[in-house]
Amino acid sequence: MSPEPLQMQPAATSAAAPPAATTAAAPAPQDKITIKDLRFYYKKYEALKNINMRIYDKRVTAFIGPSGCGKSTLLRCLNRMYDLYPEQRATGEILVDGRNILEPKVDLNLLRAKIGMVFQKPTPFPMSIYDNIAFGIKLYESLPRSELDDRVESALRRAALWNEVKDKLKQSGLGLSGGQQQRLCIARAVAVRPEILLLDEPCSALDPISTQKVEELISELKSDYCIVIVTHSMQQAARSSDYTAFMYLGDLIEFDETETVFTNPANKRTEDYITGRFG
Amino acid sequence: MSSDHILKSYDEELNRLQNTLITMGGLAETQVASAIQSVVKRDSELAAEVVEGDAQVDQLEKEVEALVVRLLALRQPMARDLREIISALKIASDLERICDYAANVAKRSIALNQAPVAKPAYAIPRMGKLAQILIKDVLDAYVHRDADKAMHVWLGDEELDELYTSLFRELLTYMMEDPRSITAGTHLLFMAKNIERIGDHATNIAETIYFLIHGKPLKETRPKRDRSSSSVVLSGPNGIVSNESEPPEA
Repeated sequence: MSPEPLQMQPAATSAAAPPAATTAAAPAPQDKITIKDLRFYYKKYEALKNINMRIYDKRVTAFIGPSGCGKSTLLRCLNRMYDLYPEQRATGEILVDGRNILEPKVDLNLLRAKIGMVFQKPTPFPMSIYDNIAFGIKLYESLPRSELDDRVESALRRAALWNEVKDKLKQSGLGLSGGQQQRLCIARAVAVRPEILLLDEPCSALDPISTQKVEELISELKSDYCIVIVTHSMQQAARSSDYTAFMYLGDLIEFDETETVFTNPANKRTEDYITGRFG
Repeated sequence: MSSDHILKSYDEELNRLQNTLITMGGLAETQVASAIQSVVKRDSELAAEVVEGDAQVDQLEKEVEALVVRLLALRQPMARDLREIISALKIASDLERICDYAANVAKRSIALNQAPVAKPAYAIPRMGKLAQILIKDVLDAYVHRDADKAMHVWLGDEELDELYTSLFRELLTYMMEDPRSITAGTHLLFMAKNIERIGDHATNIAETIYFLIHGKPLKETRPKRDRSSSSVVLSGPNGIVSNESEPPEA
């Protein structure tokens, strides 16, 4: 995959300047997901209308917009969650590393191992903390016990949960607090070594401290993953994402660097929404 | 403001901020006008009023600051709202400085009134008039969110700079010709400088308005005609000559 000229780079970056001078020390982003002419239907209702965008690797991209704008639908397309429902279908292309994941022959289990997802409500399995993490790994790999232990530990460490649970790994995951459960779900998603993490309103059921822990986690994880987050909280999008997409009624209205979207958006509808003027 | 927020109390707070700022602007216009009047009419009572009035402006600036802090903390403003609020803070600070300069002019006019009438004092009302126009226009530009009008003020300050430079030379000459005029001349010089600074703050406000409307800072450099820092007046065999070296490139 060759990185094409970036659409979303600010035009002001002069040719003389070094390529990544604006984002301190960070290399220029590479495309991870390219969405082309994506349309999505719930029966006959068109929920996504011709979406075209690129999502960068090792960056956090936030989808924002009012309820029903299609942001969760778009996220669900990225790992074909909708395949579970016969009356839902998508047309167009979603290229992940250049390969169209909407093609019927794509192995959904492998796809979802590559693209992990965390939902609004924490969804730990009714089993021990250890097994919550090990379960996913065992589906794809058979590892000796010691190696499995290492993988569980490293996943819990990545999710900044290890210190809180290392002495009670055999206890049920359901006994953890909401914030811990959500980080357990992130650890579970990370354990199978995905390349992309999809987060569907991961903090909307969490208290502010847990929310900050999850946001801190997101900022740590982005050095290794392509992260896409759907959020109702504009402050959260502003705080934790590098790029922001504003959607409205199934259209992608504006997509730009987060700083631009929240300080000087190009589109009036974006501005009205982020400043709280949307009726 | 374009349209209303879903939260009415947010609009009310933003309106209160803007109204406080407009009140402050009105007061700044009056302070500058009265300060100039106190020089023209040699009215020490009026001058004393201007000096006293400065406290009211300081109070309004504190109110603006408190409102801004409150809005930032409680509303987490974004985009245009954020610019409105940041701009209000900056403009309030410029208006406060403008009023400080007006008070300085008034203070000096009290001293000046005790000296005999100095001839070049006529230039002070001319500069004052121009400064008042700049303030009025920049406040209009703020109220009507008129970036073109703000740009007009931004460019208009050049004339004030020119007036200041010529008055500077004239005063130096005047003081050299008649050393008894040095007291009055020095006061007038400081007054002129104060008025010239008022113009600079008006251009600051113009720049803020440009940023408020366009969302990006004004990049051009403003033409400046204040050459007093490089003006020299010499007394020689041919009488008093004034010349002006080109200021070194910044």
